[in-house]
Amino acid sequence: MMLARDVLALSIHNLLLHKFRSFLTSLGVIFGVGSVIAMLAISEGAKRAALEQIEAMGIDKIIIYSQKPLIDGKSDGGSTSSVVESYGLTDKDVFHISNMDNVDRISTLTNTRKKVLKGLNRTDLKLIGIDYTFLEDSNSQMVDGRYFSAMDFRDKHNVCVIGTNVKRKLFQLGETNIVGSNLRIENQVYKIIGIFHNEYGSQYPEIGAQNDMILIPESTAEATYNNYAFWREGRAWRIVKVENDVLIVKVEELMHIDDTSKRISNYLSKSHENLQDWGMIVPLELLKQREQTQNIFTIVMSSIAAISLVVGGIGIMNIMLASVFERRKEIGTRRALGAQKIDIILQFLLETVFLTTSGGVMGILAGIGIAKIITHYSGMPTIYSTWSILASLIISSLVGIIFGTYPAYKAAQQNPINVLRGE
Amino acid sequence: MPSDSENIVELRDIRKTYVKGDLQVPVLKGINATVKRGEFVGFIGTSGSGKSTLLNILGLLDVPTSGQYLLEGRNVESLTDWELADIRNKKIGFIFQSFNLFPHLTVEQNIEVPMLYGRVPKRKRQKIALELAHRVKLGHRLGHRPGQLSGGECQRIAIARALSNNPAFILADEPTGNLDEKTSDEIMELFHELHNQGVTLVMVTHNPLLAPHYDKIIRLRDGQIESVEQEKKESGGQ
Repeated sequence: MMLARDVLALSIHNLLLHKFRSFLTSLGVIFGVGSVIAMLAISEGAKRAALEQIEAMGIDKIIIYSQKPLIDGKSDGGSTSSVVESYGLTDKDVFHISNMDNVDRISTLTNTRKKVLKGLNRTDLKLIGIDYTFLEDSNSQMVDGRYFSAMDFRDKHNVCVIGTNVKRKLFQLGETNIVGSNLRIENQVYKIIGIFHNEYGSQYPEIGAQNDMILIPESTAEATYNNYAFWREGRAWRIVKVENDVLIVKVEELMHIDDTSKRISNYLSKSHENLQDWGMIVPLELLKQREQTQNIFTIVMSSIAAISLVVGGIGIMNIMLASVFERRKEIGTRRALGAQKIDIILQFLLETVFLTTSGGVMGILAGIGIAKIITHYSGMPTIYSTWSILASLIISSLVGIIFGTYPAYKAAQQNPINVLRGE
Repeated sequence: MPSDSENIVELRDIRKTYVKGDLQVPVLKGINATVKRGEFVGFIGTSGSGKSTLLNILGLLDVPTSGQYLLEGRNVESLTDWELADIRNKKIGFIFQSFNLFPHLTVEQNIEVPMLYGRVPKRKRQKIALELAHRVKLGHRLGHRPGQLSGGECQRIAIARALSNNPAFILADEPTGNLDEKTSDEIMELFHELHNQGVTLVMVTHNPLLAPHYDKIIRLRDGQIESVEQEKKESGGQ
């Protein structure tokens, strides 16, 4: 029997004799592994982005928000009468929910619905009244200046903290002394005391991205606007009254977040008489759902990968069987010179394993390349994990072993007598 | 204590019958023959005489239907496939009509193949290959490939390869069959040199013109030994 090192050298040598044929043979594995690596990288990237969004809301939070109820047959456009639209989460709701078991605290956001204008440019910035706990509960950080003090809330100061997008949209690049300057919104002037940033760019339903917000103390907002918002729309006045736009409910025990959200949901359904003027997001639930869809996706992907690898493997087996027939004389000569059957088996098996493994390596490189190209041109994030690369390598080797065994066995079964005489 | 007259090969009533359907085709009908150490023996027979079958049996590639084959006194009858391959590797040096060199290997690598299967370490393999290449006068061709060599040179390499594991005997199958007359003479001359160095040679051929080269000529006809001619007187020791 041959030394292991010598069998290895022999197999590689034989493959390199027919470089192009070897390449064509392993093409099936290259495509299979390549597409799997690329698709996994894309889906992993998409998953990561979605998870970050969800996690940014905080997995120990329940987000409840007010939404304009849909009323059948009624259309807002063209209405000439002035109506007060009152809907959404009331202060009473907040009080009830805050007294429920497992609720640690509630951070409220109230949209003043004031149009923030700068020069002639109408922007989509929002003036939002918030609680002291908002900064922490929204996973945001101060990047300049300071956050509100207890005094600002108590004395209803006209001060504001602006998001980084607000800074970008309202001020020139490189403008200094933003903190300390004044911001005029309609007939109110707010002193900018700080700038905050949410690095995940997270958004709340109905009121949008945090970084687009101009925050003022809830007490100031209530004193100034009394939760009413009104503006002219055509001939009519639109008057909207929403007491709280978003509640960030922080729970004490993550384990019971399910029960808590159900209880809140039951309470709101009852107290709002089944009027769907509120909505709820449980980030942890979303996370779980996302993971489930991801699992399904992974199963589908794996099946596709398995099919393509089986097809590739069958192709390789076919070529190897042809190769065994073609090399009968070589096999016979080797047997006559003292090769054991196991030597022949190892030689052919290793050739197949090298074919599929090198195909796997090329496939991995191709897959990473495709992922990089996609990221480069579409900006979609792609992530390739070490385990997917490792698994591809192992699986492509396994394909070689599975589909190489039969041809190798066939090779060892060749009867040397038939091939040794003559050509 | 082994003597010069020790039998390397001893065939006792070797029979081989092929079965094709209901038909039994006897190919060898009781062969008795011996090859002594250092002898140059030629089996000569026309096609259909059973010499191919005898060659395969001598080379341990085929088993007789009945009869005994003693190789260096050891009965090879009930050996496993593994043991047979091992004996082929260590005791028999094969030489083929069409050389059967590996075209993609160099001369040196070709000579090394049997040693590869005999697990000879690389250094030692290279040393032996070099010695043998010189012995067949192709020491300057070590790095060449068979495609770059003439037929005669290829057969010399094959002979070097057959010698690499220092076998009990060389089994040559029509070794000059693919060569022209002049080259053929050169190869036979090489065989004589090896013979003079004490190598035991068994040659199977159809070519009666080679008969004068052998110590012993065993003529086969129709699966049987027609005649045994001892060309030279064995001295029984030198």
